[in-house]
Amino acid sequence: MNGNVIELRGLQKSYPPREPGGARTELFRALDLEVGRGEFVAVEGQSGTGKSSLLHILGGLDREYAGEVKILGRDLRGLDDPELSALRHAQIGFVFQSFNLLSSLSALENVLLPDFFGDGVPDAHARASEALATVGLSDKASARPTALSGGERQRVAIARALVAKPPLLLADEPTGNLDARTGQGIIDLFQRLHREGMTLLVVTHEKRMSRAASRVLVLERGELAADPTLEGSA
Amino acid sequence: MRPARLWRLARGNLARELGALLVSAGGVALGIGCLVFFLAMGRGVRKVVGDVFPVSTREVEVVVPQVGIGSFLGEMKLDEALVARLRALPGVAAAYPRLALRIPAVTRYNGLFFGRELHMGLELVGSGVPADLVAGDARMPFADEGEGKPIPIVLNRRFLEIYNKVFAPQRGLPTLTDTMLVGFQFPVELGRSYVAGKTLPQAYETALVLVGFSDRAPLAGISLPLEAVRRINARFGQDTGSYTSVLLRAQDSQKVSSVAAAVKKMGLELDESERNRALQIGAAVELVTVALSLLATLITALAAVNIAQAFYAEVRERTREIGVMRAVGATRGDVASLLLVEAAATGIAGGVLGVLLAFTGGWAVDALARTALPDFPFKPQSFFVFRGVHILLGMGIAILAALSGAFFPARAAARLDPARALTAE
Repeated sequence: MNGNVIELRGLQKSYPPREPGGARTELFRALDLEVGRGEFVAVEGQSGTGKSSLLHILGGLDREYAGEVKILGRDLRGLDDPELSALRHAQIGFVFQSFNLLSSLSALENVLLPDFFGDGVPDAHARASEALATVGLSDKASARPTALSGGERQRVAIARALVAKPPLLLADEPTGNLDARTGQGIIDLFQRLHREGMTLLVVTHEKRMSRAASRVLVLERGELAADPTLEGSA
Repeated sequence: MRPARLWRLARGNLARELGALLVSAGGVALGIGCLVFFLAMGRGVRKVVGDVFPVSTREVEVVVPQVGIGSFLGEMKLDEALVARLRALPGVAAAYPRLALRIPAVTRYNGLFFGRELHMGLELVGSGVPADLVAGDARMPFADEGEGKPIPIVLNRRFLEIYNKVFAPQRGLPTLTDTMLVGFQFPVELGRSYVAGKTLPQAYETALVLVGFSDRAPLAGISLPLEAVRRINARFGQDTGSYTSVLLRAQDSQKVSSVAAAVKKMGLELDESERNRALQIGAAVELVTVALSLLATLITALAAVNIAQAFYAEVRERTREIGVMRAVGATRGDVASLLLVEAAATGIAGGVLGVLLAFTGGWAVDALARTALPDFPFKPQSFFVFRGVHILLGMGIAILAALSGAFFPARAAARLDPARALTAE
């Protein structure tokens, strides 16, 4: 295995025609991408260009594609459902735009969610407390999601993504539903994680997030290209 | 996913969806309540039938055919030789000959009867039975002590019940227990009949003493020691060389049919009138119980359909949540297991509620029967016999119904495309 955390070779994805006899909608023509260990990559693009779909494919959540996708050297095509689940459980952290916290669980229990599955998380409670501390929410451990602000919910979601200490964090518009000040807090947190050696791939519309990344890519017309207007600052 | 973690996660979901799940559990409770109620009632009613018509599964009553080949070729008699042959049949453990009292007999009682004035004349029907047939039930010696001595008798247990529930209340007589009656002595006139209005020349008076109650004694009549009946019949010039019937006890219930076949092969018949009546009533009770249990099962099946709808709604509502769980490492099996555990918990709750409902229903019916129904012979304290197996069956069906209801929703949840689930509205 080389040092790449993410490797895409000729990734293609298309959707069936909406009407009989129509043409398939091509999302990715032949994407190639390599993301090295410890990189912070921001992916920009207009709505509908397939940014979220790309994240789902990278996370093994969407398996309807052609081409080769390797995460930490493992070809996702060759993994069955339990193996993919195990990969997501131990190696990949997900952060979503709409937080996706479970309303029946407290903040701490939401962070502990990965511990419910697979082989669990070693020292789960200690790590969950640590992850909550990392996102500055130690005092909100027992709060239900409905009692938290949008920014707090997103930070709980980030703590959940960090609890298993995965080497790769995939984030889908993590600041999309947050005000500027709260969003900046998330960006700062991602920069800190990057400095600590985590590999991050963040889909974003947020220019500040892109500026914080070490590399910025634009997804347009089914292809990935370097952002001509921005260069990562990190 | 480990069971403890699975349960922790399921518990949170159950608490959140408590209202909907209680409705689902309520449906199961209704079905299981009816099922356990009807099963216990069937068992209870069968017990009452068993009390009224006690049937031994090991015994058959052998009689001489009323009309048969034997009638033309010479009278067939249940004599000692034939009894010995019956006793020697394969599978027969014991043979107890019975001899009818072949002369009329009456009792006339004038005096105090447990503190009440009683004036009574009764025609008696009697039969002699071997002492070892009723020895276990007799509380005093059941043996003929010869002329001039009181003759011990045994009555059927049901006789006392009928006396207490019908005869005594109608006549203002005291209610009695078997203990009170054992040792009770009363006069008897042998060779006299009120019904026929005749008295045989050899008629004489003696006394009977009640020594016990037994299910083996015939309901209609009194049971006397075989020797006493033989002696009385001889005194009146009646046949003493043949018996009226022979009770055969098989070595076990499995051998009853082969014994019965061998008896018939010998040209004898089986008196199965009471046995058949008991079996017919038992079968009728069984049939009604099965029908009502099927109805209850149908209610439970409808509850399972309701659970299926509730869980489909759950899956729709929790689609995004399922996507999140898949994103953090849940397998398809984990998702299905989670929903099935929630369903099993719903089933257990429904089962427990159902069993409680059945017990409450049984208690209410018994309470109503105690106050609203008149006292009749063999009226039981309870019409219900709740057995552990009924409760286990009820719980099992409740869980099974809930699991089958949730099976397809759980499978649909497990098959959800995680990427689409995450973007579901």
